[in-house]
Amino acid sequence: MLFVAAGWPDAALAQAVTPANGTTGGVVAEQRQTIERLAAQLDTIEKEIEAGGEDEEGLVENRAELETIGKSLLGSGVAFRPRLTEINSRIEQLGPPPAEGQPAEPELVAKERQALTTEKAEINVLLGNAEDLSVRVHGLINTISTLRRELFTTMLTKRYRLGDAFSGEVGGAVQHEFGALYKSISSWLRFVVQFKYNAVLTATFLALLAAAALQFGGKRLFRRLFYRDAEDEDPSYLSRLSVAFWSTLLPSIAVSVFLNATIGLYNYFNVLRGDIGVLLNGVGVVIFIAFFVNRLSHAVFSPDMPAWRLLPIEPRPGRLLVWLMTIMALVVGFDYLMGVISETLSSPLSVTILKSLVAAITVGLLLVLIGTVRPFADEEGAPRPWPPTLRFLFYFLGAVTIISALLGYVSFAQFVSRQIVITGAILATAYIGFLSSRAIAEEGSFANTAVGRRLQERYGTDETMFDQLGLAASVLINILIVAVLLPLVLFQWGFQPGDIATWLDKLATGFKIGSFSFSPFAIVTGLIVFAIGYFLTRWFQGWLDGSVMARGKVDTGVRNSIRTVVGYAGLAIAALIGISAAGIDLSNFALIAGGLSLGIGFGLQNVVSNFVSGLILLAERPFKAGDWIVAGAVSGTVKKISVRATEIETFQRQTVILPNSELINSAVGNWTHRNKLGRIEVKVGVAYGSDVRRVHEILLEIARNHPLVLKNPEPFVLFANFGPAALEFEIRAFLADINNGSGVQNDIRFAIIDAFEGAGIPIPSTPRFIEPPPEPKWPADDEKAEAQHYEAEQAKARQAAEARPRRRSKRPDPE
Amino acid sequence: MMRFLLAAGALVLAGNTAFGASAINKDTEPRTLIVTEGGSKTELALAAGETVEFCANGCFVTMPNGDREALTGSETIEISGGVARIK
Repeated sequence: MLFVAAGWPDAALAQAVTPANGTTGGVVAEQRQTIERLAAQLDTIEKEIEAGGEDEEGLVENRAELETIGKSLLGSGVAFRPRLTEINSRIEQLGPPPAEGQPAEPELVAKERQALTTEKAEINVLLGNAEDLSVRVHGLINTISTLRRELFTTMLTKRYRLGDAFSGEVGGAVQHEFGALYKSISSWLRFVVQFKYNAVLTATFLALLAAAALQFGGKRLFRRLFYRDAEDEDPSYLSRLSVAFWSTLLPSIAVSVFLNATIGLYNYFNVLRGDIGVLLNGVGVVIFIAFFVNRLSHAVFSPDMPAWRLLPIEPRPGRLLVWLMTIMALVVGFDYLMGVISETLSSPLSVTILKSLVAAITVGLLLVLIGTVRPFADEEGAPRPWPPTLRFLFYFLGAVTIISALLGYVSFAQFVSRQIVITGAILATAYIGFLSSRAIAEEGSFANTAVGRRLQERYGTDETMFDQLGLAASVLINILIVAVLLPLVLFQWGFQPGDIATWLDKLATGFKIGSFSFSPFAIVTGLIVFAIGYFLTRWFQGWLDGSVMARGKVDTGVRNSIRTVVGYAGLAIAALIGISAAGIDLSNFALIAGGLSLGIGFGLQNVVSNFVSGLILLAERPFKAGDWIVAGAVSGTVKKISVRATEIETFQRQTVILPNSELINSAVGNWTHRNKLGRIEVKVGVAYGSDVRRVHEILLEIARNHPLVLKNPEPFVLFANFGPAALEFEIRAFLADINNGSGVQNDIRFAIIDAFEGAGIPIPSTPRFIEPPPEPKWPADDEKAEAQHYEAEQAKARQAAEARPRRRSKRPDPE
Repeated sequence: MMRFLLAAGALVLAGNTAFGASAINKDTEPRTLIVTEGGSKTELALAAGETVEFCANGCFVTMPNGDREALTGSETIEISGGVARIK
């Protein structure tokens, strides 16, 4: 029996292990192969980097490959995990090997433990290999970054001996280069004519078709965007900006699409041979740069239609500037093309230096020329130069280019001139774009654009909507500018598409700042999910309220409660889904909530108590929207019950926001809780000696005859008091709707006056003591009165003085 | 109310952006993991009962008992009795 008990599980376990062994031996072997393959790849790349450290593009490619290798290494490491877990749990099941002195375990168990330990050791070794490889991969990635930085600096600081460029052999080399160029082009043309004639025709036709579609279709579609109205004397700043921006961007995009289509189609039909393809690409770049700069300068200076220009530059110098800039772009472009040609024909260094030198000096001279142009006009119309800072900037850049080229820093000069033209053009476009986006976001400006006017005609969009649309448009334009132009600038400054791809990858997978890992894509996803959830909730709320509950004749109070609760519940759910979509672990939430609860206990006590009170109000419904309530000193109509506070509108139309906790913790009077029935009281006094029975009769009559006073409960007249001055009566009448109370009270009072007058019943009024009119007192304005008094005294004195001499003259003068 | 919710949301976002693998030491004595991440090897010391987040973009880890593992960055490692388990 014991034997069976001991032996049976062994057999079962052996069964369980064997198939696993069969499949997982495979995993180890497979991953070993993968890791070895990756190691081999790594070796090749390392050699490539050591050998060809001069090639920038190669380095970027290597870097991308290294990153893939790093990921694959991690992947194959992770692939071991199921097997490792299996082995670990099995070893645990087998227990530790028997210590010395204990009875030996069955051989089967010992063997199995041995096999498992060996396999685990093997996996550990492989994982160690993968780990070492991944360290190497990252080391190489760092090496590449250093190499690329060094490459860039050596490129900029390398000095050539210009003597080489002007030695006798240069003439021959140039001639040789042109000969070679001619030969390769003509041989290609022959090849094309003989073998690829139809293909070239088709490709050219298709590319032309695409260009025509872009040209005419684009014009039709976007005509409004970049049409300059010649008759418009004073177009708005916004329309000038947007015309400039779009009339630069759209045709440039069209041209680039056309060029790319041509080259792509030629490639597709195998028309291009290696060197010619590169040359054609170069030509395309030249055309594009020149076209782009021409469009841009045209857009800014607009020499043909001065009303549409962006800078107040006169038409004549404007035309000149357009030409100068286009020529500069052409020169830079040709320099680039020549570089491409030299590379494909592997021409001697002296030729490369010579043409870069010429190009750099030309660009420098053009810059100085641009600086000397007098583009503005003063009040008398005399030409005025650029502002000094700008002028000296042009001179300085021109001088830097020329002098550095002459000193032999040709690469640096080339780099500077290229940056001036291309980065300058791109930045200028971006700046115009930003300006136009800012202008469009300004209040009321979007409504005046062509799109805005059309929207208004078709949909009757209102002002605020336009403002929001303008804002959205401006954000869109900004994003577009950054997305299109930033990569272009980065390419100019030595970054490669591979770099940008790496950054985007980092952005998608998240990057680390300190101990925080941060993934913008995930967070944006979370926000989008939250927004969708929010709008779904709003829609559901509207549907429930408008379609279901309105049809079901549900009471407004209940409707309001359900609506609010559904809204908050939906919001909470959307927030939770959004947070988990953002990749945030909800269990961390508990931690935060735990921390917050202390804060809630103290600081947010009021908010929470109001919140809970709000929920109670929604559930219990002591009043609903539209009720007339009295809470403490506030009396008015309930407008809205929110979760934190309730909005009450008093009859003076003052809105009072009452925290919900006050409505829960103290007494609230509701005039219209179950029904709107209510009682009004009108008091009246009659003189002693009047016929009180007659009075009672009249009052009851008046109350009964009023159409709004209910018959049941019937109105009642109370002989209330033997007052000090009158016999006091009180009419008590019930109304179906207490909201009409004031009107009814008014009617009744008028009716009482009329009826008493008719019946000769006096209404006594307490005789009041009538104050006698006040005697003229000392006037309130003391100083003025004093001054008047003083003047009066003076006048009296003067009169007296005038009178005196006459009297005195009779007396002899003592002197 | 909206603003309050937004503020709470921002708080949660700010406090929670650390995601990656996490390691919990359930033992009563400190344990050390050797983490190879991005080309550098570091020793990650875990005090008793401490939880640490690390390894956002994948890494290799050597456990206290000498076992090696590769992590993608979403795992939880639990150390108890000197033995690490991945969950």
